Amino acid sequence: MERNQMRRQLALMRQSFFDQGFLDEQFIQLEELQDDANPNFVEEVVTLYYRDSSRLILNIDQALERNPLDFNKLDNYMHQFKGSSTSIGAKKVKAECTQFREYCKAGNSEGCMRTFQQLKKEYAILKRKLEAYFQQARQAGPLETACRSRN
Amino acid sequence: MGAAVDHVSPMGMSGGSAEGNNKSDGQRFSCKNKLTALVVDNGAVCRAIQTALLRSYGVETEAVETGEAAVQLIASGATFNLIIIEMLLPVLNGPETARQIRAMGAQSKILGISAFFDERHQQEFLAAGADRFIEKPLSPEIVIPIIWVLDN
Repeated sequence: MERNQMRRQLALMRQSFFDQGFLDEQFIQLEELQDDANPNFVEEVVTLYYRDSSRLILNIDQALERNPLDFNKLDNYMHQFKGSSTSIGAKKVKAECTQFREYCKAGNSEGCMRTFQQLKKEYAILKRKLEAYFQQARQAGPLETACRSRN
Repeated sequence: MGAAVDHVSPMGMSGGSAEGNNKSDGQRFSCKNKLTALVVDNGAVCRAIQTALLRSYGVETEAVETGEAAVQLIASGATFNLIIIEMLLPVLNGPETARQIRAMGAQSKILGISAFFDERHQQEFLAAGADRFIEKPLSPEIVIPIIWVLDN
């Protein structure tokens, strides 16, 4: 009984991520790659994303302290950041990455710095939401119904 | 956007329809023949996802971090039906990697890929011998037709 309740809540939580624009359909692609052979794929990839990105964020923060800004370097960092954010379906983060790149191309330091602050906010919000989600998923336990089998 | 709540399972496989994607009947597309692919990307997340995606269609997939590693692999005799190469690789960039792979006579289908679509990058890749250039993410819509053609 309680488990079903938890699962319902989990489904609502997940749906809210899409409804509120935090995640896009690419996240569903990740879910579809999860199966018996890769039972924790989504969480593993998301964990990898946060680990990798924290390094990138540090690099970008440091690069933003330079004067003048090296827009080329920043663009390269953002390239990687956008690539991975896009790949996990982090919709709002991806939008900030795109915005950041526009400011880079325009050589707009202020724009870059402002956008990056916003990016970090969105990134942190998503991280909290996903962490809560995975934690609840673990508590709700695995589903009895078999995952789609691969043949 | 998003599957109907009632049928969504956590970590989910959506029971229903919603996205009209490649597996609305529960069966995932799978290639008939043995196909091989190589993913070349310096980002671990992209490597992991692209590799998993290709493997999910039955394509034997390897992943390397650098252009140099890809070139070495092919120089050592490995062949791949499909090679996916990130644009901004650190030392040997995407197009240069593609160029060297072509120079070795590889007939693989080469897909240049990047976080941002950029015409200049597209031109560089195509000039270097890539067949196509796409913006990330590598999606089923892009990859299934390619696999299908390779398979038939």
